[in-house]
Amino acid sequence: MNFVGLFQALDTSQSTNAKRNALIEFIRHADVLESAIAVEALTSQLGKKRLKPSLLKYTANQAFIKTTWLFEECYATVGDLSETLAILFANPQAKPQTKDPILKQWIDRQTALAGLKPEVFADALLAQLDQFSKDEAFLFLKLSSGGFRVGVSKGLVHEAIARAIDMDRAVIEERLMGPFVADRDWLKRLQEPVTQNELDARPLPFLLANPITEQEIASLNPQDMLVEYKWDGIRAQLIKTDQTIRLWSRGDHDITEQFPDIVDSAITLPSLIILDGEILAGTPGQLQSFNQLQTRLNRKRITQTLLKTNPAFFKCYDLLRFQGEDMRDQPLAARKAVLQTIAFHQSPVLSPQRVEEISAMREAARDIGAEGVMIKNRQSTYGSGRKAGYWWKWKLEPMTADCILIYAQAGHGRRANLHSDYTLACWNDQGELVPVAKAYSGLTDVELKAMDQWIRKHTIQKFGPVRQVEPLQVFEIGFEGIAVSTRHKSGVALRFPRILRWRQDVGPKDADELTHFHALMTNYHVL
Amino acid sequence: MVSKKSRRRDPLVIRTPEGLYCPKAGAHIDPWRPVDCALITHAHADHARAGSKDYHCAIGGEGLLKQRLGDQQITTHAYGESFTRGEVQISFHPAGHVLGSAQIRLDDSDAVWVITGDYKRDPDPTCKAFEPVTCDVLITEATFALPIYRWPSIDQTMDQLFAWWDHHVRHQRTPVLLCYSLGKAQRMMAEIQRRSDRSVKVHGAVATLNRVYEQEGVKLCPWERTSETNKSVSSDLVIAPPQVAGSSFLKRFHPTELAMASGWMQVRGVRRRASIHQGFVVSDHADWNGLIQTVQDSQATQVYATHGETRVLTRYLTEHLGILAERLETAFGIEEGIDQ
Repeated sequence: MNFVGLFQALDTSQSTNAKRNALIEFIRHADVLESAIAVEALTSQLGKKRLKPSLLKYTANQAFIKTTWLFEECYATVGDLSETLAILFANPQAKPQTKDPILKQWIDRQTALAGLKPEVFADALLAQLDQFSKDEAFLFLKLSSGGFRVGVSKGLVHEAIARAIDMDRAVIEERLMGPFVADRDWLKRLQEPVTQNELDARPLPFLLANPITEQEIASLNPQDMLVEYKWDGIRAQLIKTDQTIRLWSRGDHDITEQFPDIVDSAITLPSLIILDGEILAGTPGQLQSFNQLQTRLNRKRITQTLLKTNPAFFKCYDLLRFQGEDMRDQPLAARKAVLQTIAFHQSPVLSPQRVEEISAMREAARDIGAEGVMIKNRQSTYGSGRKAGYWWKWKLEPMTADCILIYAQAGHGRRANLHSDYTLACWNDQGELVPVAKAYSGLTDVELKAMDQWIRKHTIQKFGPVRQVEPLQVFEIGFEGIAVSTRHKSGVALRFPRILRWRQDVGPKDADELTHFHALMTNYHVL
Repeated sequence: MVSKKSRRRDPLVIRTPEGLYCPKAGAHIDPWRPVDCALITHAHADHARAGSKDYHCAIGGEGLLKQRLGDQQITTHAYGESFTRGEVQISFHPAGHVLGSAQIRLDDSDAVWVITGDYKRDPDPTCKAFEPVTCDVLITEATFALPIYRWPSIDQTMDQLFAWWDHHVRHQRTPVLLCYSLGKAQRMMAEIQRRSDRSVKVHGAVATLNRVYEQEGVKLCPWERTSETNKSVSSDLVIAPPQVAGSSFLKRFHPTELAMASGWMQVRGVRRRASIHQGFVVSDHADWNGLIQTVQDSQATQVYATHGETRVLTRYLTEHLGILAERLETAFGIEEGIDQ
């Protein structure tokens, strides 16, 4: 089987079990270089875009030279650029070749295409697509543009690899941390003993928290717990070996280069250590909003100016490796005891006697810029993934506002052709509607479908895929944070806005005014 | 062709609250409210509604219409044979959509108007193939008026269907094909019959319509109605309308594997949203090329698009083919994913 065959099996299979089996079969029997590149693709490590989306669009526009609007209509309906091109330009007579390995050849062709001059690129790509069936063209383009999702989680791929070569999943996950080299020896390497040096430099699988409700907290014994603030930053591991200091985020991304200030601050740390914690915006005395971190992640070059305007620091709360020793089998209380001997920004820890103390700490969270509290079992070891009974997160209730739908756009993937991306507005003091948030989720499938039909019937104007609708529908949105914005006309930027419910009970006149957001900012010390 | 003169005159067909109406003939076409005289293109629910006094349809369509609307006053007409009402010559022409489906041609000797109803240009063993009709004004559907809709050959699709069917039978799962019970179900069964001696089990809604098709002489593969008593995995394909997904109907065949046969299956996101794992692209509507071809074949100088991607079709015709085209809002059209 080759990657096309694997994709078809994954795409049409009903259960996780069937997907897992398809992956195991593939890893066992496929050409080893084919499976190497496939694993790289499925765990989104294929790296840089070989064919930029702008080039794909350019190609489509060349093919639709007099009717580019028609291509835009197609794209808006399909909701995925690769799929749109595959449908339009693949050869309807071609049968997919699902047996012999193709990925190495594809990657080479993509590299060759990427090297072409723009004048000849479009024709060359169209000629290539004409040799493919729809599925092949879709996969070829998906792989070339970096992003790739087929309903298979990274965890599932890791599990399938472990089963295919009959090894422990935890070992496999640890060995797959860090950059993946897709060559003929990848499976052999996974089965080899690892060197000490490699071991020291690798990030470890993160332990994740489960959400908990107020009722569930009552069943915990507070004296068995440690409580900390839940910080609104980027979860990361800070790893220092004899030679290097590295920062790894949860998606297995090495983000060291984005945070030279944190690397500098880690110079005084002892070697052979791994800290688990959070990258936060601002300084320990003055936190900034999460948006400031986003800027750091998105920039290619981190300038001195950016370091001044958008400082960041690392706040640690767990110790996974110390003096080269793996600490993960030790209980949390013991890990914390060692951690507290290290001079570094630490998250304050509460040892509660009563549940009320936990509630009080949660109440205080918003004032200090945290998003809730973490409740951690003192006896818990540092497991991998979302283990039950280890860590819980108890978040603050979101802030809310009633806003009016003014623009809608079709979504992508499962929501292609369904108007699910909403721009929501509130009233300013002139009685005009100003956009305050874009929200993508929160409605049920039935509500989404009903709204989609409403939107189609109440469109005032179309701007490409965006529909301006009559300002009649009110939605209650929830958001985790609020900040001043100079980019938005409304002057506010909301953190993680989403729709809580469809307010069919109120009319547009009852929606919130901008002053509501100003009041929230004043209350939470943003203004 | 007398188009210039005719366009200055009153239009032959207008829209009234009851639906499309030809005043000179005193007849409505696929009215959505009860009227005196209803000319029916085909028996799907959005085109054929109960309550009118007189119905006219093409020969072959009567059985389905009766099945759908109960006992009604129905006059049937052979394809191509015209009859007169008021000042208008009326005739029915094959539309290739489902059994007995028709385009309706209206001629007042000044102008010829054709209302296509729903149609397709691809071959279908269950009904007479589409015949182009020349006219001055064409009123067409536009359900799939986007270039992304181009249908694969039925041979290719049937190969896929058989492979999928066998695969799941081998894994002891019941293959279930969801498709519209009037038209698509029988087309799939006729295509199965032409290629194999395989048999299928069908939902009650499909069974009722199968009998009408067979009475009209359409050859279907061997079928039996699913029984509630027999609870087991089936190696026969189960054919049922899309509404059964998630209902208790499927429990008797557990474990099941769902597929859907519809033009909408062309887009992966639509299929995934419907929680369907396998989609077969088979439609009883014209694809993009079929629509454009039909407009060109008709030689019409004025086109109205009634339902579907009307905005796209009219813009393309106007801007790129130089054909005067406008949208005409109607109550026709269907929910996404069902594709009649």
